[in-house]
Amino acid sequence: MDHNAYIPRLAKLIDIKEEVSGARPIKTFRTEFFIKNDFSFRCGQCAMLSVFGKGESMISISSSPLMKDYLQFSILKMGRVTSSLHEMQIGDLIGIRGPYGNGFPIEDWKGKKLIFIGGGIGLAPIWSVLHTALGKKDDYGDITLIYGARTSKDLVFREELEELRKKMTVHLSVDVEEQGWEEFVGFVPQNVTDKKPSPENAITVTCGPPIMIKFVIQALEELGFKDEQIYTTVENKMKCGIGKCGRCNIGLHYVCKDGPVYSWAELKKLPQEY
Amino acid sequence: MEKILSKKSFPQWVKKLSSYTIYAPVKKDDLWEYDVIDKPESIDFDYPNAVLSPKKIIFPQREILLEFSSSNEEGLQVKEILPGETPSVIFGVRPCDGKALTLTDKVFGGDFQDPYYWNRRNSIIVVGLSCSIPPSPDCFCLSVDGSPHSREGLDILMTDLGDRYFTETLTKKGDKLINLAKNLFKPPTTKDKKDAQKIHVESEKKINRQIKATKKIPPKLKGMFDSPFWDEESLSCIRCGICTYLCPTCHCFDINDEVSSSSPIKGQRIRTWDNCQFPDFTMHSSGHNPRPDRASRLRQRILHKFQYFVEKHKNYQCTGCGRCISKCPVGIDIIEVLDKVRDYGS
Repeated sequence: MDHNAYIPRLAKLIDIKEEVSGARPIKTFRTEFFIKNDFSFRCGQCAMLSVFGKGESMISISSSPLMKDYLQFSILKMGRVTSSLHEMQIGDLIGIRGPYGNGFPIEDWKGKKLIFIGGGIGLAPIWSVLHTALGKKDDYGDITLIYGARTSKDLVFREELEELRKKMTVHLSVDVEEQGWEEFVGFVPQNVTDKKPSPENAITVTCGPPIMIKFVIQALEELGFKDEQIYTTVENKMKCGIGKCGRCNIGLHYVCKDGPVYSWAELKKLPQEY
Repeated sequence: MEKILSKKSFPQWVKKLSSYTIYAPVKKDDLWEYDVIDKPESIDFDYPNAVLSPKKIIFPQREILLEFSSSNEEGLQVKEILPGETPSVIFGVRPCDGKALTLTDKVFGGDFQDPYYWNRRNSIIVVGLSCSIPPSPDCFCLSVDGSPHSREGLDILMTDLGDRYFTETLTKKGDKLINLAKNLFKPPTTKDKKDAQKIHVESEKKINRQIKATKKIPPKLKGMFDSPFWDEESLSCIRCGICTYLCPTCHCFDINDEVSSSSPIKGQRIRTWDNCQFPDFTMHSSGHNPRPDRASRLRQRILHKFQYFVEKHKNYQCTGCGRCISKCPVGIDIIEVLDKVRDYGS
């Protein structure tokens, strides 16, 4: 019989980086499987992480499938499991099962310009697809990132973002004015309107808080983007990851299997249940 | 294969099945429950609907998925705990509950086979008993493609002919069970067959309740997601969740860790039944809740059973057992709700 889907594989935390501190802290964890196995994934997929004794939590994989040495997860401290993860040290063991979900249809985007639009921790799922596209840069047109957070201290991957500027266009923003900030001030959707990306031969991927996604999509529509050109990810509470526990559904879709990636054209057809 | 078994011989048959764990309806206080029996004489087939369907034997309310522990020598260990494949027989399964197993089979099958479910399911032989009289005043199996003598999900169907059982084996597993006591089973006479058929026909007439034109409901529900109907219908709901806990087709579950020692860590990962009628069922850790009120949760229950499941698996996710109606403390009646759905706005 196949590997029991409910049994996680042990993995070691090989690196932990504090991205954001304060009331809404974010850490990035790099993990390495204790025993090598055939775990392979597509960008946009998620994995169920275990902290034994605390439980499980579904987290998007923020590293690219092109990176074979480790799996990376950037995690906002929120509930029981993510709070425990934030207390863990390098060398500690967690469980990983998956991967789950559909992933981004990045093969279908070849030859197109890619515009990534993220807010806060929403950069995590984007990070995987963005780096996959960058790794195969010749397959795609121009790649742009529009990313913002409440303050400059809430931006994740801060140093890597500076590195990225050498390879692609990066537009950052903070919600409110702060000393020394020279880029855009305002919400992410406003920055989208300000930067006016052209819809011609383009695909956009937007991830972030639901309210941001809503207004980003509005801004993109005003710029002439069609529903089929806009992709986003949905999250709902999950327990099994394999379409059986019955809680992540939006209508007859199970987000853990049929999502989390949807085009706006697809998502529009589903009931507002996310 | 069709056979006749005299009622007097029934305990002898059960005695021949000593290598199996035997489940049957057992009366506890005023309620009936499927439980392990040790004496064939204690099987009593004069029972109404058991409170919980035999689903609980295959998909128990609480089960261990894995154990974890850590020690200095071995580090962290994770051990898969699969249920043993104990050969078992469940006697006295009502046809609605038998049919329900074919529906949970669909959920726990598919791309990801659930090994906990299938280990039990594959080692259990299901012996049904057709309902000569409805076991509950709220039975409505005929409205959801079932019947009081439905064979779906069963390995054997028995029909009570007074002093004898008309016994139909429906699968190889069923044949095997009868072959263990071959000499007790006689070929049926023409009269036996006629008697059984008569009971089957008459049993259908005794069912009092029905949903009218069930087929019209799934397409109608498709347009009712945003309707104020759900607010009106759910006003009396007290979120007790008994409708789904007692449902033979409901399968939602939770997974949690239970710890017996925190340092060094030792514990179990447990799967328990969960319930779409509870507010925290879908609540994110941020507090955001996609189904924040009673209306959205009643809607989920009805749409899952009569729209989503129908679109996905071509079956209603309801077998008309009536438990959710009989046991609802505030009188929410799924037949009435569906009748209103059908007529809504017309």
